[in-house]
Amino acid sequence: MTGTSTLTGNRVGDERSADPSGGGRRPGRRGPRRPPGLPWILPALVLSVGLIYYGIGYTGYISTLDWDGVSPDPGHLGLQNYTRIVHDPVFWAAVRHTVVFFVVTFVIQTVLGLVFAVLLHAKVRLAAIYKVIVFVPVVLAPAIMAPVFRHMFAPDGELNWVLDHVGLGSLAQPWIGQTSTALPVIMFITIWEWTGLTFVLYYAAMTQIDPSILEAARMDGAGNLRTLISIIWPEMRGTTVALAILGAIGALKTFDVPYLVTIGGPNYATEFLGTYIYRQTIPLSHVGYGAALSIILLVVALIMALVLQFAGRERGAGD
Amino acid sequence: MFEVRTRIGRVVLQVVATILILPYLFPLIVMVKGAFAGEGAKNFSAVLRVPGFGRFFLNSIIISVAVIALVYVVTMMAAFGFAKLHIRAREVYFWLLLACLTLPEVVLLAPLFVTDFKLGLYDTYWAVILPLAALQVPFAVLLTRNFINGLPNELFEAARVDGANSWRGFRYLVIPLTRPIAAAVVIFTLVAAWNDYLMPLVFLQSPQLQTITLVPQFFVGEFSNDQTKILASAVITAIPEIVAYLSLQRLFERGLAAGSIK
Repeated sequence: MTGTSTLTGNRVGDERSADPSGGGRRPGRRGPRRPPGLPWILPALVLSVGLIYYGIGYTGYISTLDWDGVSPDPGHLGLQNYTRIVHDPVFWAAVRHTVVFFVVTFVIQTVLGLVFAVLLHAKVRLAAIYKVIVFVPVVLAPAIMAPVFRHMFAPDGELNWVLDHVGLGSLAQPWIGQTSTALPVIMFITIWEWTGLTFVLYYAAMTQIDPSILEAARMDGAGNLRTLISIIWPEMRGTTVALAILGAIGALKTFDVPYLVTIGGPNYATEFLGTYIYRQTIPLSHVGYGAALSIILLVVALIMALVLQFAGRERGAGD
Repeated sequence: MFEVRTRIGRVVLQVVATILILPYLFPLIVMVKGAFAGEGAKNFSAVLRVPGFGRFFLNSIIISVAVIALVYVVTMMAAFGFAKLHIRAREVYFWLLLACLTLPEVVLLAPLFVTDFKLGLYDTYWAVILPLAALQVPFAVLLTRNFINGLPNELFEAARVDGANSWRGFRYLVIPLTRPIAAAVVIFTLVAAWNDYLMPLVFLQSPQLQTITLVPQFFVGEFSNDQTKILASAVITAIPEIVAYLSLQRLFERGLAAGSIK
């Protein structure tokens, strides 16, 4: 996978992976016959593959039922749950929110993560403290921070208080309570949470860039900005692709923050696939419908991962 | 890497960094300030006096430790098997496992709910431990397998020639040599298990079993929406995480970075 090489550290330029002789060790050279390994991988297969594929299969079956979760004799609907989804405006709203959410959070996080990485490589003062402040949110549970954000974005909360006191009182508004600002609030919280990770990854990727390349660029008269755009950014594309995949899947998995901060509202303005599946399955007891939504979510997640993986690889080979 | 030579340039960078950091600091300030509002430090003693508050921590510890232990054992064995032992159709098994990487946990809600009821697992630790571990294993195996692939085959062949069976190879080569990657696995599993919200929300009903991520809701009921107490409870639950991160900073940063790149 594209990303993994980033952290095992052999991504300094692509020379190694582009080496036509490949891994070198593999072909022909098998050595003495290895002992059987199946028993060793069995526990992992039983736990993960067993539990997860069982769950997916079961969800697939439930998705064909008209079921409230308790009735012993649910009606069979065939694919009707799926045709209903196609005509469900809330489903399409959730898809729209997910796409907007992914694009906005990914772009802003990438820019901010990159800027922080550059600033800290440029040796600003208090760098150690800045790093901690940006990274702490990654460690904190969103569920624990949710009440803090509800407080902060409340009509009489700290954000409006600050706006009032810096002379921007006209901008004060009920951030969580209106449809136009609820989704941006969710995106802000997500960016707040994950920039630290983007930053740490870019920071690490920058340290792995061969100093002699930078030296050469500088000799040729390239300034800081020029070096960043023409050398550093392309060198880090593996990290960027991995972060894009992570962000896309994260967007599809989004649950905690909208569920706890805005409850998917107001008026479904922050409904995501995760919160919608939860709403249908648990509070509304439309378990069959929730299962059909789950299967669609799963298929989208798989397609997304494959597309991004291949897109990342192909363009990588191009340049 | 970047050279800023002029004094003005340095000042500008410092100012930019400070302005950008403010939005990250702000929610943390809101949390602490809100927790001390109203009755001040008394908010904390009120929260700490609530019977069963410590129980949430204990439950989170039990669940996290169990998930970590399960993920660690299963992952090390599987990674060793995939990397250094003979398995027919090995890559098929591996891809079966990798396909689980993208699974959103919400997909498992309905089937696990039904199955947990049938097996009597509902409202037990296992209802949370098993799915959390199952969801962490695929990536942990991917990461660890790559790491073990990098260990020389000759090492394992030599051990075999000396009469060591696979178990001894595992015990005396794999376990000690994989420590760096195991640390990463432990950290990202810990954070994933400790911070998980959906599984405990759905599968743990009795307050005696619930985890710290359910604390805010518990206190919404307990203090009929007294915000200062709820924020005080948020501060108290956040402290162990911040302390753990500060004392193992590099490990956390590396572990989470490794764990995030799927």
